[in-house]
Amino acid sequence: MAKLKQSNQSFLQDLLSFQGSLNGKSQFLDEVRLKGAEEVKNIPFPHRKDEDWRFISLRDLYTDDYELATRLDVSVPDISEHYLPESEGSRMVFVNGVYSEEHSQAEALPDEVEIGNIADLASEDHPLLKEHLGKYGNFEDDVFSSFNTAFLDDGAFIHVPKGVKVDAPIHLLFVQTEADVNYFATSRCLVLADESSEVTIVEDYIGLGDNKYFNLPVFEVNLEEEAYVKHTKIQRESKEAIHLARTGAFVAKHANYESYTITRGAKLSRNEPRISQRDEEVEFTVDGLVLIDGDQVSDTHSVMDHRFSHAESHQLHKCVINGKAHSVFNGKIFVRKDAQKIDSFQENRNLLLSRKGLVNTKPQLEIFADDVVCTHGATIGQLEEEEMFYLKSRGLNDQQARELLIYAFALETIENISVESVQKLLVDEVHKFTERQLDSQLTA
Amino acid sequence: MSETEALESMVGGEYKYGFTTDVEYEDFPTGINEDIIREISRRKNEPEWVTEFRLEAFEKWKQMEEPDWPNVEYETPDFDKVQYYSATKKKNKNKPESLDDVDPEIIETYKKLGIPLEEQKQLQGIAVDAVFDSESIFTTFKEKLAEAGVIFCSISEAIQDHPELVKEYLGSVVPKGDNFYAALNSAVFSDGSFVYVPKDTVCPMELSTYFRINNMQSGQFERTLIICEDNSQVSYLEGCTAPMFQENQLHAAVVELVALENAEIKYSTIQNWYSGDEEGQGGIFNFVTKRGHCRGDNSKISWTQVETGSAITWKYPSVIMQGDGSIGEFFSVAVTNNRQQADTGTKMIHVGKNTKSTIISKGISAGKSNNSYRGQVKISPRADGAQNYSVCDSMLIGQTCGAHTFPYIESANPTAKVEHEASTSRVGEDQIFYLQQRGMDEDDAISLIVNGFCKEVLKELPMEFAVEADKLLGIKLEGSVG
Repeated sequence: MAKLKQSNQSFLQDLLSFQGSLNGKSQFLDEVRLKGAEEVKNIPFPHRKDEDWRFISLRDLYTDDYELATRLDVSVPDISEHYLPESEGSRMVFVNGVYSEEHSQAEALPDEVEIGNIADLASEDHPLLKEHLGKYGNFEDDVFSSFNTAFLDDGAFIHVPKGVKVDAPIHLLFVQTEADVNYFATSRCLVLADESSEVTIVEDYIGLGDNKYFNLPVFEVNLEEEAYVKHTKIQRESKEAIHLARTGAFVAKHANYESYTITRGAKLSRNEPRISQRDEEVEFTVDGLVLIDGDQVSDTHSVMDHRFSHAESHQLHKCVINGKAHSVFNGKIFVRKDAQKIDSFQENRNLLLSRKGLVNTKPQLEIFADDVVCTHGATIGQLEEEEMFYLKSRGLNDQQARELLIYAFALETIENISVESVQKLLVDEVHKFTERQLDSQLTA
Repeated sequence: MSETEALESMVGGEYKYGFTTDVEYEDFPTGINEDIIREISRRKNEPEWVTEFRLEAFEKWKQMEEPDWPNVEYETPDFDKVQYYSATKKKNKNKPESLDDVDPEIIETYKKLGIPLEEQKQLQGIAVDAVFDSESIFTTFKEKLAEAGVIFCSISEAIQDHPELVKEYLGSVVPKGDNFYAALNSAVFSDGSFVYVPKDTVCPMELSTYFRINNMQSGQFERTLIICEDNSQVSYLEGCTAPMFQENQLHAAVVELVALENAEIKYSTIQNWYSGDEEGQGGIFNFVTKRGHCRGDNSKISWTQVETGSAITWKYPSVIMQGDGSIGEFFSVAVTNNRQQADTGTKMIHVGKNTKSTIISKGISAGKSNNSYRGQVKISPRADGAQNYSVCDSMLIGQTCGAHTFPYIESANPTAKVEHEASTSRVGEDQIFYLQQRGMDEDDAISLIVNGFCKEVLKELPMEFAVEADKLLGIKLEGSVG
């Protein structure tokens, strides 16, 4: 047993041997990576005894060997079906972590917007990149974000200057291909929204095959005063993949950050959004939808950190669980001392459809200011018999009624997403999920 | 007077029960080891199996580490400095037959606490077991209860007089090595109450135990065991107070409840141990394991607690609903003030089919205190049709306190239904304004609002104690809203 523990502690450290292949292009990035590697060596690998990791096992991750994704030589199939029509001319594509210039476009964006690959900008010593990179992750003592930093190379950098409103949603498409070996990728995004700017980002992960790999993305976003960022994340990694993602957002005065995370793929996935207030009077939303079946495990650990007065925050997290799937939710709402007049809402609703499914949920309030209104709720249940009866009495058969109800349950989290094609895509995903759910029920 | 000042002056309500009683104690060494445990057992004249039970628990305890997950901060007590047994010197060694055999000082103490031990002076229909430090002093209305077949006595007496019952149930709900403080309790437990309600019996009166820690060095390690046979009912209430000392004292109790088929146990607590002074000096460490086991079908266990005292509280009255159709309930008001810290809540474990649980928890924090609700609701795979409904609301009074909510919910059954909701708010200025406008003064207004906030829980208390709890809340929060 002791041996096993030691082996998972060294798991990430052993992979650091691949790091050398990245060096030499930019002194700045070399130093950043070196720092990341140091942290990886000093931060303990999570253990099930840690409160934050007690419900999921990382065994599937650390019991395999992996190759660095960017070293693979793979042919890229046609991926145009995954493009969003609204983002023609505002798209960045990464294949197995490598920036693909031929698939990317930026001509629909206003000239003032700076968009580019982190590795390229770093070699030019881009001042904004150097100033802001790594400042908004806010993940101290997290070995996975340090590991991401240790392999920081290609990635998306977006800077929207003061007063610029970007109409076209920017599509960041991360494609993971099939390969003969297990591999790992660590994508990175940095979004800087200056004063009174507006931008919509779609962060999109797709696994093209059914192969095993792990992905540890980190997404950083900074909102200056009165900035408005709409961030949708869609995770459709391969059925065998492991996806452990972090999102760090800092929100300044009068700014508004909206995030919607859709989890559909990966065998094991974990999302850790952390939203921190930088000043008074902000708004933020951290909604999520999880649709899992088979032996999928999905974990969401969110932090809404209210540090100053007058914030309004909203979190609606919904999960549909079928098969042997396991869903975990831990939503922390912090209200620091003197952060008065906070209005925070959190709700986690779970639809548990199968005998073998499992739900763990732990909404959490930690409040140190007295003049606040914070509520949270959590429910676990199944389809209401009365609702089923009602629909059936209107002529729907059992299947149709179930499908309609699951669909309606999931839809609430989707309908606020502003990009039409993304909404449509998600509606299709929900549809496919309910269909599969019904198939498995019929065969069971 | 400004609102804040009014509140502060209210919070400063004094602890009325902080006096000490001057009695002579038997000599007993401090510290814990095998010899001391044997000595406790010897003085209590216990049979060999109880001594074994204690020693096994002690072995387990030595292997265990003190848990660090509760959201409280304190200095671990020095277990070698605690006196694990504290009994007063008696005129004669026999059990007191009547009140005449009890030290008049102690009777006077209980009188001061508002618990007269003379039966004719008592509230009608309540039998009291008075526990003073490590021993039960006197149990009232024993004969009347015996007529109904109900056994109500101290656990030490039960070990002597009803060993077969105690042997069968002791440690069956909270095993010897359940957790750090439960293991310590199992090793050194002193006195506590024993209740046995036979089949088809509704206990004719409310039972209650009044715990008093008097000795400065002693800890209190009471053990309570309540067994309710098929189709029976009992309602039990415990109250606790302690004098004011500079040093912290340890109170580590274990309470076990067993409900068989169709049985119903209602267990209410008004906990008012000394909570330390404004600077957090002194006060009781209240580390308690309370658990009920609904063993039979359609049984019901209900916990009601009003927690106002103790420097540190660490307590999760739980229900394991094993019998089909059994019900678990938890109603709690926890008030912390000054530098008190409370981490309290419940565990509802659904094992049987169609089991139902309800959790209503109200936390009020004032001063520089921290108040946490920590609860677990677990639905096992075979608990078809299980239902849980939880509400835990927190109220903050002032800007230097904290309220925390940690509900753990786990469901592995698709036919189960779990609902949890929580909110945090404060006594609104507008609410106070409204009531003042109607002619109430500020203190009354606050008291009314707080009582309204807690109403759902207070109404679960037996009538006589609801009045007391009401008053207690008022005193505790006097002058604390800002």
